[in-house]
Amino acid sequence: MNFEAVIGLEIHVEMKTKSKMFSAGPISFGATPNTNCVPMDLGMPGTMPRVNKQAVINAIRVSNALHMTIDHDLWFDRKNYFYTDLPKGYQITQQDRPIGSDGYLEIEVNGKTKRCEIERLHMEEDTCMQHHFSDYTLIDYNRAGIPLVEIVSCPVLRSGEEARKYVEKIRDIVTFANVSDGKMEEGSLRCDVNVSIRPYGTTKLGTKVEVKNLNSLQHIENAIDFEVKRQSELLLLGKPIQQETRRYDEAKKETILMRIKTDAVDYKYFTEPNICPIHLSDSFVDDAIKTCPELYDEKLARFLNEYKLNEVDAKILLSNVDYADYFDKGATFTGNFQNLANFFISNVLGYLNKNNIDIKNFKVESKHIAELVDLLKDKKINSSQGIEIFNKMVQTNESPIKLQKAMGATLIGDEETIRNLVDEVIKANPSIPADFKAGTTRVQGFVMGQIMKKTGGKIDPGVANKIIVEELKK
Amino acid sequence: MSNYLDLSIKEIHSALLKGETTPLELTKEAIKRAKANKDNAFECLCEEKALLKAEELSKVKVPEDKIMFGIPYVAKDNFSTKGIETTGGSDILKGYIPLFNATVINLLEENGAILIGKATLDELAMGGTGTTGHKGITFNPYDKTHTRLIGGSSCGSAVAVSDAIVPFALGSDTGDSVRKPASNAGLVGYKPTWGQISRFGLFPFAPSLDHVAYFTRSVEDAALMFNVLSKHDENDSTSSFKTRLDDYSKLDGNLKGKKFVVLKEVYDSITDKVIKDKFDLLLNKIKEGGSTVDFVEFGKKLLMAIYPSYIVISSAEATSNNANLDGIKFGPFYKGNTYQDVMMQARTKGFSPLIKRRFVIGSYSLMSENQEEVFKRAQKVRHLIVDRAKELYKKYDSIICPASPSIAPLVKGASNQLNDTYLIADNWLAIGNFGGFPSITIPLGFEDDMPFGVNITSDAFKDFEVFNEAFAMENILGYRDLSVLNFKDKEGK
Amino acid sequence: MKKVSKEVLKDAANRLMFDMSDEQYNILLDEFDVITKQLELMGEIEGIDKEDVMTFPFNCEVDFLREDEAATALTQDEVLSNAGSIKDGQIKLPKVIG
Repeated sequence: MNFEAVIGLEIHVEMKTKSKMFSAGPISFGATPNTNCVPMDLGMPGTMPRVNKQAVINAIRVSNALHMTIDHDLWFDRKNYFYTDLPKGYQITQQDRPIGSDGYLEIEVNGKTKRCEIERLHMEEDTCMQHHFSDYTLIDYNRAGIPLVEIVSCPVLRSGEEARKYVEKIRDIVTFANVSDGKMEEGSLRCDVNVSIRPYGTTKLGTKVEVKNLNSLQHIENAIDFEVKRQSELLLLGKPIQQETRRYDEAKKETILMRIKTDAVDYKYFTEPNICPIHLSDSFVDDAIKTCPELYDEKLARFLNEYKLNEVDAKILLSNVDYADYFDKGATFTGNFQNLANFFISNVLGYLNKNNIDIKNFKVESKHIAELVDLLKDKKINSSQGIEIFNKMVQTNESPIKLQKAMGATLIGDEETIRNLVDEVIKANPSIPADFKAGTTRVQGFVMGQIMKKTGGKIDPGVANKIIVEELKK
Repeated sequence: MSNYLDLSIKEIHSALLKGETTPLELTKEAIKRAKANKDNAFECLCEEKALLKAEELSKVKVPEDKIMFGIPYVAKDNFSTKGIETTGGSDILKGYIPLFNATVINLLEENGAILIGKATLDELAMGGTGTTGHKGITFNPYDKTHTRLIGGSSCGSAVAVSDAIVPFALGSDTGDSVRKPASNAGLVGYKPTWGQISRFGLFPFAPSLDHVAYFTRSVEDAALMFNVLSKHDENDSTSSFKTRLDDYSKLDGNLKGKKFVVLKEVYDSITDKVIKDKFDLLLNKIKEGGSTVDFVEFGKKLLMAIYPSYIVISSAEATSNNANLDGIKFGPFYKGNTYQDVMMQARTKGFSPLIKRRFVIGSYSLMSENQEEVFKRAQKVRHLIVDRAKELYKKYDSIICPASPSIAPLVKGASNQLNDTYLIADNWLAIGNFGGFPSITIPLGFEDDMPFGVNITSDAFKDFEVFNEAFAMENILGYRDLSVLNFKDKEGK
Repeated sequence: MKKVSKEVLKDAANRLMFDMSDEQYNILLDEFDVITKQLELMGEIEGIDKEDVMTFPFNCEVDFLREDEAATALTQDEVLSNAGSIKDGQIKLPKVIG
């Protein structure tokens, strides 16, 4: 019997705003514990929530990118429970009226486009960080209150691959919209998965198993695939599937039981009485959408149509919004877009990856890369000279033109000069034209070698080849 | 014996301007009286800070436009005061020292007022007897034998003003916690329109019902205070953007053409003849002043529903608001084997039985299987009650009724347990919280040397009109500036 | 509506992270009797269940949102100034499991 997997995803995205969702507490990464707090973040008595405008704008932009209906009235609710990472004893969230509802995104599966329905998107606040030691736990309130969007899909995904692609799309949206860093490994994008299976053709949902603590896209795919297999095997053996929460073990590539799911916790949701409902005007919402940074699909279209890049290279550039931004900047200084892309991908990315440097810390301005690309394209230098200059640039970010001058690196591409040099060589070796006509092609390389020697390697080989052949033919 | 401290805010300000007294003199006198008070009105006194401030202010010229400059006052101990212990009247916050001031504390400080102490209250403001604070019972200064309560939850603040310790004191009003003690203590007790005065820094009891409120000894003083305190505050997301530019103290006391309505069921249910007669007398006088008074039924079922609806809504919000009190970030910490242990110890030891019971009621109301029938139904009742009041406000300017069916209750026989014996006249003031209506209690008369009051409640945003109507009635009744020091002279009226 | 018994009340209290004495649970049971009767009275009000709920005292809708600007944070000392159990600049609790 074959089973159909029914998968739903709950994704939490941490926003990179300057201040928190409901307080003006600052946000910065790697801060010393408990140095990014204001009284509200600690749940001190008498403190009150204040809704962050940028967080709302971000939520609108993501909702729009997901084709959702956007609620123009903001209502908030309290989710009440006790835990050490929840200073107020409740979390302010949007239970009854999420800002975004009924949307979708599209993924490519087996060459076809699949539409994945999304149930809701709402704003809420993050909890504290806890650091666990052998027999104690330390609590850091810096993270308490950071804005989150929670995106809940309908249970429409059918495989680990589909889930991975769905999450990639979400990540692209939130990074390109400049809402979040979207880094699973850093916790700015978190994904919980709900997996159940059912016989093909049936509509009744099977028992749901939750898988948490997944910190990479590949883990999501692997965990789901394993879980589907595990559940299928159980059913085939006639054993029931328990409602559980499991975690993914990356070493074993298996999901492991964390706890049996008991009755659902009753969060006693009710409307937050300390935030008067906020009405968002049509112009506010429209403006938030209009001023959204360019998203993936639009950028791809632009890279293909305006820059006329090939699709493979375009997608590499778009695999990270920071690459795309760097490229866009560089493209304002040169018209040689494909060359720029090639150079960026081979040389810049090569360098960054080899040295484990983030592009945000790359010393070289995109302007200088563009200039270097132009020098190469215009044959003012050859490729090995180009590399030499690049290697110097990554240390100092000096202008390539300056470096070229300093190195005395030039490329002779002037036809007359080359012709004279070629004629000199032929004069010194009078037999070679006859040898060439007789079919001895290595004389071509001989002439090239000679003129390179004469000039210390500064001949543009492309131009020279053409002239050598012409002269030998004479 | 008269002292500048016994005058109204307006008069003290005048005396300060003329140099007849100084902030230091006033503050010293207030602290002296605070220390002498035996009614258990104070959580703590901030003597050192107050005297330092008073000295400072005594050295500068008294600004004409700062009406509270140099005047000592008291704040209920649920207002956050930076650097000064604020317990909410509960052991769970023993030793808690806020890192910030409540907005109203800042506003008063900017105006030059001098905080001399924090007043007792029913624990976390959740009570109406003035007996559940962790310091025990607060007594009514009108009865030196300590057989009578002053009510609550703003008990200490009521004592501070009626015992002539200070001319004004901050309280909070969620069901009637300033306006009822005001009746028991012969004071002006004012609760503004919801959102007019910032609640930032006030420990929340039930945010949708909570109001910053206060006691004074004259209506004009209450209006002057409103000028100072009713400012939009961006720290409070329920702070009203609707602010009026009126000078609230420009009162003319003109009742001509005003239409008042008495809630018939409340009136009929009052059996105390002295109160009823005094009330009738007042009604006749205001009719003479050119206004009309109608007796209209509010709806008995609705009036009976006020109390349970209030208990459910306030307990539900309160149980959530106080979930932050766990001994971990603030309040006494108890070692335990697990975090649950730590929290349970703090909350079991820190909360008194009454509020624990209220928390359970609140939690029960919000449980998903009960919410529709309990919490949501209470919220629907609230809607009906407010709609009915708004209906009356279409035809009438204000509701007027005795603030209480009796004088201050006896200590013996006071219970904090919910019981069946329901007094319509005891709970009608909560209408003011349900609809966020501006509401004022002023002294109406005396019985057995104990004061009782009358209450005027008007539609939302009609604070100015309420002050004006109360001012007129205060003139008629003649109890302006009433306190334990002078009531014998005024009582006969 | 969940039937009220002492067990139900004790469970509710424990979920709120506190416990009460037996006597108090008895008082609370009595109070629930009162509340239940009064809730039934509320149920008798005509048209009650068709009514809308009311969270705020009146329509207080605003169109204001706070600008995304960071305020000055408290110092670490200030954050911890009211905490009873501290270690390494953080609040220390017994090991939190689950």
